[in-house]
Amino acid sequence: MVAGTLVAAAGTYQIAGLLLDREHRGLNVSATLAEPAHFSSLESGLLVLCLVGSATLFFRRFGPILRNILRSKKDADFSLSPVGRRVWEFFSEVLCQSKVIRQRPLPGLAHAFVFWGFLAFALVSLNHLANGVGLGFLAPESIVGRFYFLFAAAWALLVAVSIAGLFIRRFFVRPIWLGEKLSYESGWIAFLIFLLMVSYLGAFFVSDAGMAVKALWWTHTLALVVFLPLIPHTKHLHLVISPVTVFLKRDGFSKIPPLAGDEDFGLVAGKDVTQLISLQAYSCVECGRCTEHCPAANTGKVLNPKEIVLGVRSYLNEFGPSSETPLLAESRGAAPTDAHQRLLSMEAAFECTTCGSCEYQCPVGIQHVPIIVGLRRGATNTGAWEDDYGTKLFLALEKHGNALGLGAMERDKFIQKQAFPIFDGTQEYCLWLGCMGGYDPKGREIIADFARVMQYLGTTFGVLKKEKCTGDPARRLGNDLVFQTLAESGLKAFETAKVQKIVAICPHCVRTIANDWREFGVAPEIEHHSEFMARHKDRLPKQGGESIVYHDPCYLGRYQDVYEEPRAVVALAGSLVEAPRSHERSFCCGAGGGLAFLGEEQGERVSHVRAKELAGTGAEVVGTACPFCNTMFRDALTAVSEAPPQLLDIAQLTARAIPASQKEAGGVQ
Amino acid sequence: MKIVVAIKQVPERDAQVRVAADGKWIDESDLSYTINEPDAYALEEALQLKEKSGAGEVVVVCAGPERVQSTLREALAKGADRAIHIEADDLGSLDTLGVAQLLADAVKAESPDLILTGLQSDDLGLGQTGVVLAELLDIPHATIIMHVEATSAGLKVKRELEDGWFQYVEMPLPALLTIQSGGNKLRYATLMGIKKARTKELKTVAAPAQVRAAAVTLERVYLPEKQKKTEMLTGSPTEVAAKIVDKLKFEARVI
Repeated sequence: MVAGTLVAAAGTYQIAGLLLDREHRGLNVSATLAEPAHFSSLESGLLVLCLVGSATLFFRRFGPILRNILRSKKDADFSLSPVGRRVWEFFSEVLCQSKVIRQRPLPGLAHAFVFWGFLAFALVSLNHLANGVGLGFLAPESIVGRFYFLFAAAWALLVAVSIAGLFIRRFFVRPIWLGEKLSYESGWIAFLIFLLMVSYLGAFFVSDAGMAVKALWWTHTLALVVFLPLIPHTKHLHLVISPVTVFLKRDGFSKIPPLAGDEDFGLVAGKDVTQLISLQAYSCVECGRCTEHCPAANTGKVLNPKEIVLGVRSYLNEFGPSSETPLLAESRGAAPTDAHQRLLSMEAAFECTTCGSCEYQCPVGIQHVPIIVGLRRGATNTGAWEDDYGTKLFLALEKHGNALGLGAMERDKFIQKQAFPIFDGTQEYCLWLGCMGGYDPKGREIIADFARVMQYLGTTFGVLKKEKCTGDPARRLGNDLVFQTLAESGLKAFETAKVQKIVAICPHCVRTIANDWREFGVAPEIEHHSEFMARHKDRLPKQGGESIVYHDPCYLGRYQDVYEEPRAVVALAGSLVEAPRSHERSFCCGAGGGLAFLGEEQGERVSHVRAKELAGTGAEVVGTACPFCNTMFRDALTAVSEAPPQLLDIAQLTARAIPASQKEAGGVQ
Repeated sequence: MKIVVAIKQVPERDAQVRVAADGKWIDESDLSYTINEPDAYALEEALQLKEKSGAGEVVVVCAGPERVQSTLREALAKGADRAIHIEADDLGSLDTLGVAQLLADAVKAESPDLILTGLQSDDLGLGQTGVVLAELLDIPHATIIMHVEATSAGLKVKRELEDGWFQYVEMPLPALLTIQSGGNKLRYATLMGIKKARTKELKTVAAPAQVRAAAVTLERVYLPEKQKKTEMLTGSPTEVAAKIVDKLKFEARVI
């Protein structure tokens, strides 16, 4: 005990002695940054040489990249407006790092500290290099200097800790999203950043004179000189271009640009790659957030959205932006002749459900869905995509105007049986049936129940006499001919019937009519039945406490930002349970992008993964708001669960509480 | 190989067909039209033969009013090289021989190696036009063809017989084949195809003034009449059974 106290006392004495002796020993812990007192002309010359060399190496790589971007085809539909939104997103996503942090809080925050640290360091680095040629402008002793260098020191500390954390994450925790192969270049970059910070902080511990300060100064300088050319050679290119990418990204979520001119069939070859796509491809930082959330990549399919982006980049590097070489390889061969063929394949492009989680997650402004749909357009519009199911779907749409390939008579019979009034301009709403509502047995139940809800509320509605598919599956599978034909015929039908307001049960229909049809004309105002019912929730019956887990459809949530309305409807029908992945992180049912109509999936079924998750919540009911999700889960829930929860659309959840007298007698079929 | 495909435009499958006021034809207003399904397969076969050989030309020919041009354009979009539209506004007043004569006049000038048509039309379903056309052109024909293979001597074709039987026939060229539905997989029309079709030739020829009166005339068009006739048989079970056998044998002729 006594001995311990003695040792501790001795230790204290020693530390005190060190501090007292600090000047004697040359260790100078001060609040002022030490700067080398003098640079010989040889040193200055050497510095200039290093900087010129570094800049040359930087531009030797950055130049060709910039040329590839600038020489890519112009984006015909690009417009800077709305500038306000662009400025806001730049502020939020770049300066505040909102997306980086929100979707991956811990590594996101670490990244944000490094980013903010870099910003704080810009002035420090400039002054640092200027010192080397005797042009330093920020004196460490001045008030501004004193304050700023300490401010930067605080950031240096945060950056050093953060980058060390990120290094540990990448090399020891090793999340699979970062790729199977360890990226050693990232290790080098992390090391250089760490070195930059340590060599800066070190200058607070030495005196202005002497070798130590010079050594630190040169270490810092060399780290800078090596760092610069590494930027364009690695994914750290995002440092330079991703702020521009975020600012310039196409307005609107998952927006598919119109084809420009008679020679544009989508992304067939390099010549079709637009400037925005090039810019986005070079911005990819390979963080793998897109992969992490991709339903295809998570169920053993070939598609990996990150590889699509890297494939475009690798194509541009190899062939350039005016090449005629096809972008898509037929399928991923064992030994592809070109590097990009390993990444871009027809097979992968047609496995996308267009759920948009990749695009939603991307922190550098890459818009994956337009790229993937663009590749599909290139394949479908030229007839290169040969798929029995796809052809069957397109022929059904050409011939029958509905995706299910049934005769229009079937819809007529259903309308008659339900005694739905035909829209004649006197009713408030045009009730859009859609392919599912008009032809699919389960979809018909949903439509019939929603019609009952409208009747209960006393809202007048009518259905169109003839209705064709909105063209959604053709649009997402890249068949512009079928899509345009259907869009034009749909717009005409609404115009002829003088429709003012539409309500639909299918988020795909709503999105396609409201957004995609704009290319060909102005559609009447359309809303999803969740929005309609949420608006009238005070007049809808409140039910008991059955637990209901709500599944966010991709085309309602991410595509249209409608999250709360369906929840309000579910909350009326029972107690709302959230799925492990919900809201903007909801996991796809597997039906989108026209995939509901294609053949069997490779690997695990997307619907099974999601159904397991929904059943796993223990909720008594699975609540859906999209007839496609509903149809996917109908089979999946029975397959994954022995006692599957009930599966009901929000319209059915509401209609079941409507007093029997309000219900119409008779079956749905 | 130069292939001519004779196609017909027919009302959509699910169209609600109404009889025209004069009872001589159907009311054409409000109807949407499409390619006759077996003709779509004939076109597909022609396109595949051309693609397989790597050379040749596919010419589509169709008789009818102006509206048939949309079907011809569609055929061009799917890959046909040229189209001929024979202007004929009153197809309903012609018999098979008359229609075949119109086609023969247009096709003769093309002197094709092979003529393909669907085995019958979805609307009238007579199944004769192809055969009569072959006769008028004086070339051999084969009907209900499932598969065509070009050989050095001409063609080897697979005919569908009844009850799951098939017949393989070798025949010289030029020839005419009537194609059965379902032998191939149809292709979808593409945007690129439609754009290319705009620059392809669509020639309109006038139908010659009617020379021959139709040998078969259409008297009346009517919707199939549903009728139900019930006859009660009386007597002892043995007698009734004997009567049933009698009726099945001689009236219904099913046993």
